[in-house]
This record gives sequence, C-alpha cells and structure tokens, in this order.
Amino acid sequence: MITTYLFFGFALLAVLGALGLIIFKHPMNGAMSFVMTLISMAGLYALLSAKLIFAIQLIVYAGAIMSLILFIIMFLNIQEKDLPLDPNRWFYLAGGIIVVAPIAGLLIKISKSLPATEVTVFEDGFGGVKEVGQLLFSQWLLPFEIVSILLLVALVGAVVLAGKREVN
Amino acid sequence: MSALDILLVILRIAFGAFVPLSFVAILVWMERRGAAFFQDRAGPNRCNVLGFRAGGLIQNAADGIKLAFKEDVIPGHIKHKFYFVLAPMLVFITALLCFAVIPFADVLILGDKHYIMQAVPMDIGILWFLAVVGFGVYGIILAGWSSHNKYGVLGGLRAAAQVISYEIPMGLALVSLLAVYGTVNLSEMAQFQGRLLFGFIPMWGFVLQPLGVIIFIVAAFAETNRTPFDLAEGESEIVAGYHVEYSSMKFALFFMGEYVAMFVSSALIVTLYFGSYQIPWFNTETLVTYARPVVIAIMLGLPVIGYFFGEWMKRNNRSHYYRENDPRQKETTVYIALLWSLVAILEIVLLIYLVFAHGGVADRILVALLQIGTFLFKTFLMCFVYVWVRWTLPRFRYDQLQKIGWEKLLPLALLNIFITSAIIVSFG
Amino acid sequence: MSIKVRTVERKGRTFLEQLYLVEVIKGMTVTLGHFFRNLLDNSRLYVRHYPEVEPEITARWRGRHRLTRHEDGSVKCVACFMCQTNCPSNCIMIEAGERHDGRSEKMPTRFDIDLLECIYCGYCVEACPMDAIRMDTGIYSVTSYSRDSMVLGLEELLETPGAFDEEEYKKGGG
Repeated sequence: MITTYLFFGFALLAVLGALGLIIFKHPMNGAMSFVMTLISMAGLYALLSAKLIFAIQLIVYAGAIMSLILFIIMFLNIQEKDLPLDPNRWFYLAGGIIVVAPIAGLLIKISKSLPATEVTVFEDGFGGVKEVGQLLFSQWLLPFEIVSILLLVALVGAVVLAGKREVN
Repeated sequence: MSALDILLVILRIAFGAFVPLSFVAILVWMERRGAAFFQDRAGPNRCNVLGFRAGGLIQNAADGIKLAFKEDVIPGHIKHKFYFVLAPMLVFITALLCFAVIPFADVLILGDKHYIMQAVPMDIGILWFLAVVGFGVYGIILAGWSSHNKYGVLGGLRAAAQVISYEIPMGLALVSLLAVYGTVNLSEMAQFQGRLLFGFIPMWGFVLQPLGVIIFIVAAFAETNRTPFDLAEGESEIVAGYHVEYSSMKFALFFMGEYVAMFVSSALIVTLYFGSYQIPWFNTETLVTYARPVVIAIMLGLPVIGYFFGEWMKRNNRSHYYRENDPRQKETTVYIALLWSLVAILEIVLLIYLVFAHGGVADRILVALLQIGTFLFKTFLMCFVYVWVRWTLPRFRYDQLQKIGWEKLLPLALLNIFITSAIIVSFG
Repeated sequence: MSIKVRTVERKGRTFLEQLYLVEVIKGMTVTLGHFFRNLLDNSRLYVRHYPEVEPEITARWRGRHRLTRHEDGSVKCVACFMCQTNCPSNCIMIEAGERHDGRSEKMPTRFDIDLLECIYCGYCVEACPMDAIRMDTGIYSVTSYSRDSMVLGLEELLETPGAFDEEEYKKGGG
C-alpha cells in the first residue's frame, strides 16, 4: 500500500522535474529540477528492488554527471542578461504539446490494454550487487565490453580534441 | 513487530542521528584544545557555568547560543534565495545521512532474532555512502554560486573540483578493498575483519591493503575539505570560500556539516580499514564465550583508569598563577567526586551482571555495548588524526592538489587494483 | 677568497622526500610530541594567563601618554606645538595660553590626545624639547565604553604618574 503512494509520489516528482527542466529559463533551475527527476527515478528503481541500479543512478547520474553540469554552469557565470529572450517560448511549448499529445494518448492506451496482473517478483537477492554483476559478466559480457569500448573511444576523442594543437 | 523490535529500531535510529551530533560538540572542542596544545597554547578555558568549565566544553555551548541568536542575514544582492537557504541544509543532511549505513556493533542475537546494528539496515552499504557523498557537492556548489560573490564562487569551484576529482581515487581504492572482502555490505566487511591472518594477525583492512589505506585516507581528507586540502576556504586568498556570505545558523550548519562529515569519514575509515567494532583477537563469539573473565578484567581496570585520570585532572586543572582559594581546584574536587561515583556505578552494574544476569541475552547485550564503545573509541582516535594533520601540515597549492589526485593517487590506485586482484586470483 | 661562499644545500630532491609521506610522518611526530607534553602537564605552556598575570613592562615600552611637571609642580609643557606638528596621526590638539609663573611665556590651556587616533609611535616624545610629554605610564591596555572618554584632557594627562623612576627611564634611552 505504502509502496503505491511512494510510486505515485516519485512519479509525480519525476514528471514535475522534467517539466521544470523544459520550462525554467535559468539553466541552474533547469539543472536542479533535472536532479530532482534523477533522484525520483532512483526512488522508482529502489521500489523495484533494483538496489544496484538505485545506487548507480545516484552515484553516476545524480552525483557525478549532474554535479559536473552544475559545475560548468557555475563556471560560465550566466547572468540574467545573458539568457536568450525567447518571446515565443510558450507558443512553441503549446505547439509541442499538441504534436506530442497523440503519441502520449497512444502510450496510455497501450498501457491500459495490458492485462492487469499482480506480479510479485523474484527469488532472494534480486537486483543485488552480486546477482547483477554475475549476470553482466556472464550472459551480457559482449554488450558490456562493447559499451565500454564505446566509452573509451569517446574518452580518447575528448583527449584528442582537448589536446594542444600545434601552432601553424 | 514486537515491542522489542520497535525499541531496537528506535534505539538504532537515535544512535545514528544523535551520535554524530554529539560528536560535533566533542570534535569542535577537540579541535580547539588540540590546536592549542599542538601550538603550546592553552585554548578556550575561561567560559564557565557557575565556575564549571568542563575543560572548555562550555565554550561550545556559548558559541552555539551565540550563533542561534544572531541575526540571520540574507544579503540583498542574492537573487536565488531558495538555493542560498537550501545549500547549508544539503551539506548538513548529506553528511548526517552517510552515517546511516555504518554498523556500530556486531549483529545482535536476542533469542532467535537477529538485529543488524546499523541506523538503517541496508545491504548496499558502501555504495550508499558514495551516492550520498556525491550530493554533498551540490550544497557546496549551490552555496558558492548563489552567494553571488567572487570569493564564494571561487571557493565553490575549488571545493567542487576537488571533491569530484578525489572521488575517483577513493572509488578505485574501494574497488580493491571490495575485491578483498568480496562484499559491499559494511556489516559483512566488519565481520570479515574479526578473523585472524596466519592465526595471529587481526585481519584488518590496513593489513590486507597497505597501499589502499593510504590512498583512501588521503582521498577522504580531500573529500571532507579538511587541511591540507582546505583550499576551498583558504582564508589568505579567498576569505572564507563558499560560506563567506553566510551568517548565524546557516553558517553553523556548514560548520556542523564539516564536523559531521569528519566524524562520518573517520567512522568509515575505521569500518573499512581498522577493524570496525572488532576488538583485536576478540571477535564476537570469543567475547560472548569469555564474557565473565572480560567483565572481571574491566572491573579491575576501571579503578586504575579512574585513579590515573583523577591524578591527571588534579595536576592540570588548577590555576597556574597565585590565586586565593583557587576555584579551579574546587572544581577539580567536584569532578573527581563525579568520576569516582561514575566508576562506582559501573562497578555495581557489572557486579549485578556477574552475580545475577550472566549468560544468554545479557552476554550478548554486554558484548554489543563493548563493541559500540570500541567503535566510538576508534572513531574518536581517527578524528584526532584529522585534527592532528590539520595543525601539522600546511595547505597545498591548487595545482599541487590536482597533481597529487590525478598523477599520483589515481595510478597508484589502479596499480593497487591490479596487484590485489592478481593476489586474489592466484591465492584466493 | 675574501667573500665567504656558502653553497645552499637543496632539500627535497631525494626519493624519500619526494615520496612526501615520510616527511609528513616526521612532522607529525614533532607536533604529537608537543601535544602530549602539554596534555600531560599544562603548566609548561608558553603562554601568560593574561588578565590575571600581567606582562612586565620595561622603561622603553611606549604606553599611554602623560604630561610631566617641574619639581615645584608647574607644568613643563610650554605649548610649542612641536608634538602636534610631528604627530603623524593628528591626535594631539593644543591650545596655548599666557603663562604667569615666570618660567616662560606660554603654557597649554588645553592639551587633548585622542587615543583612538594615536598610533603610539612616540614621535611626540622625541620631538618635545622640554621633556614634557612622556609615554612611561606603563599603561598598555587602553579601553573604554565610549568614544568621548578616549580623548584625554590636560588634567588627566598631568594626573597620571610615571611607572618608572627617573634613572631607569633615562637608562631606557628616554
């Protein structure tokens, strides 16, 4: 029972945060509302008993990546006058909602057409560190390694781009 | 849930919330008196209530009252008041939340029930710590940014860059530690450290990970923004860094947050590397088995400790100049009376235990209390190391700080992972 | 060689020093020694318990000012304005009046020193041709609850006795 309330609370916060990200004008406000979304997502993972994913969501996304983004916002020191004027913002927003609304309706229809079943998961230790690790390094080893190579490529690319260029 | 369950839940949460807070008072006192003694000064020794100065602890009460009654100023130039107010709360709350997963005694077995002695029994343990510490950075960034002050921004930038970059060697040092312990659960780590290596060395983390413990401690110092890594508040260059615009209780929250963070990271270092609540060579089962001899040893030891402590007080708690009817000596007699009555009460309690209640549940509770005491004592010593380092080492320059983090600690941590995993794979 | 050449030995280049940890531990043992020495016996602290134990003031100490008198009790000051002219912080305010005791023609009717402005440099004492102003009262703690009471008048300056006898003061170079 209490999990249902928690679910709705987290879901509401996540949606509100996402809305804030779009609507707020100042980048700091946007970033903070996105942090709220990420934390509520972590809460949703925790409700699903995915402990490792919960922790990683907090450490990597909410902790590391967003604090880097905030760091950069702070670095840029954006003043009120630096922000774009954007007089048609609400107009675009309304247009976007009209365009997206049918898709949302479709999604709601799909989720409603799903059979309502009470799914209680899982054996002991579902979502724990050991279990996810074992799954990741046995069944999903190849995708895991490919993703890490992808990250490595991005890293090398960043280093190359940031490296000192020779003066012509 | 029985009444006992509820009682234990309340006790554990109270422990998790109030012990860090009361340690703030002790740590501030330790910092002041410690600083004074390191520099051959006396430290705060004037503040008193009816002539009782409690070795300078009354000064903390005076400071607290002063901060609570000060005017709470939010400077007019601050536009984002919400973040300005949110920042100190974030710093304080995240520091306090970290303590929730640290075990302070072995699993308490009462009858057929097992109680994990953590404020919040969570099995992701160390991951929770890493996650919550990450949020502490938000407080610093927001404080620096919303202060709208160049010193504040500079301090916030430095603190944030430092915390983010030192999280990496810290995490890597943890990886090799996790490989050794084979778990992320702090309770299990603490139990692991109760074993013996080769039959006679306690299997504490620092024995198994000599390189890792150095990396972790250095990174932990940097994470808590303490000297020698406290560039964020470098008084000589940037006044006070990110809390330059803060006053009264908002400043006090930053201040307390710093000390709570210091306490929590000491507790974590103790948990990970210095045997947590384990008394060397006496793991939980041994203690339970030999509960009566241990109690008798304590009963014999208490008066000896009391005697020496009393002598030390007599020697030191007096005025070092001529004074008629020295009030400080009167104060000392009261303290010594209190000390001996405390010793007497403890002796009586232990005697009652020995005569009537030994065996079974009482043994378990006794051992848990002993372990809590050991844990707090070790943490206290680690906090002392923090104070000790602060008053010994000068502050790093900013480029030196980043150089140590990225060029020294990071490769060392990676090397440590390779060595550790090689040893585990070949011998374990 | 006439000039002594001393080669300064550069420290911090050996491996152990580069390692930094050893040096850290060395430094920390030093401070820990101080800590335990003071913790076990705090009578050896290098501090004075100030409000109760007062520092010893030598005759050369520049304390609060005073104006001196001749043996017969007349004011030595002849209102020559030397001290006021010399004062770098403009804290002396003199008004001269006629003198009737035959020693000279002028004497101060008003002699104010604003102690909030004074920087205790002692130039007034050096400038005085009559040895009329001195800073030998031995008062080192000048505090008050109001600004007005920090301005000393002629009476107060004359009232304060010197803390040292003449011989000692002269020996101090006054």
